[in-house]
Amino acid sequence: MWLPLMGLVIGVIIGLLTDIRIPEEYANYLSIAILAALDTLFGGIRAQLQNIYDEKVFVSGFFFNILLAASLAFLGVHLGVDLYLAAVFAFGVRLFQNIAVIRRILLAKWSSNGEKEKKNDIF
Amino acid sequence: MKLKKRVKTNRIILALVSLVLGFMIAYSYRITETAQDGRVITDRQWEQDLNLRNQLIEQEELNRTMQQELHEKQEMVREFEADLANEAQVYFNLAEDAEKYRMHLGKVKVKGPGVKVTLADGEYDPMEDNINNYLVHEHHVFKVINELYISGASAVAINGQRLTHNSYIICDGPVITVDGNQHPAPFEISAIGDPEVLVSALNITGGVKDQLVNDQIIFSLQAVNDLVMEPIIAKK
Repeated sequence: MWLPLMGLVIGVIIGLLTDIRIPEEYANYLSIAILAALDTLFGGIRAQLQNIYDEKVFVSGFFFNILLAASLAFLGVHLGVDLYLAAVFAFGVRLFQNIAVIRRILLAKWSSNGEKEKKNDIF
Repeated sequence: MKLKKRVKTNRIILALVSLVLGFMIAYSYRITETAQDGRVITDRQWEQDLNLRNQLIEQEELNRTMQQELHEKQEMVREFEADLANEAQVYFNLAEDAEKYRMHLGKVKVKGPGVKVTLADGEYDPMEDNINNYLVHEHHVFKVINELYISGASAVAINGQRLTHNSYIICDGPVITVDGNQHPAPFEISAIGDPEVLVSALNITGGVKDQLVNDQIIFSLQAVNDLVMEPIIAKK
């Protein structure tokens, strides 16, 4: 478990230390990409909890979603349509759904554990 | 064994994913932070800011109008001053002219270098039977005065009495009358002008001096550096 955590810490450090300036309008794409990444991450966690986790799907989804979201925002800017709203909406809705599912699964696990313990206490 | 290996690759991939995620989040955070860069102000501050800005703009507009007004006023003042200067110049010229004319008319005291010519009757000469032959006559005086005027004298006086444009001189027996005032011999004619010119004009060969001396008149000429002439006095 320490390897992904270390990866996260290293990524944060690199991100804070990089001094590359990008134009302000491209910062939007980055935000969308982050949203996509978070969505995929929570999707992966949900899949893990539901035991349908597939590594290839997760990794490919992670990078593909990032690129798709960024390019969608890029296209939107160049077409004059706020297409990034579509990405925000889609990823936002899915993010909430995923988190809700995770919460329910965790709640169900926790309550079933509690029942088990109770049963153990009784018997 | 196989399972463990799969788990390990799994972890590595997860680490890569979290690295990318962490990088993106941190980088985005940095960009947003630098973009805002301490420009976080509350609504009230903003309102106050706007208010102050409006006040400033008002003040500046007021300033500008005042400045323009000031410029206009200054322009007016300058015009007035120019007019005044012109007028002053004109008045100055007039005053100068007046002074000059007064000098010519003999209304004021004048002072300057000049010459003094004294004409005295000749010594009694028993050989001459006519006394008129060695008395100073008015035509002698005229000659001297005319010569002086021609040579550029600006003021002439006889025995201290200034001559003017309408002076008259009459021979009145033993005296001559200048503007109604009798003057006895010897006659002292003083003139203001360039002494060198006046002296040489009178001394010219065959000139006034020679003629007067021929008429047995004692003629003396003296250049004076500082001649003062009183203004024309009323008739005595």
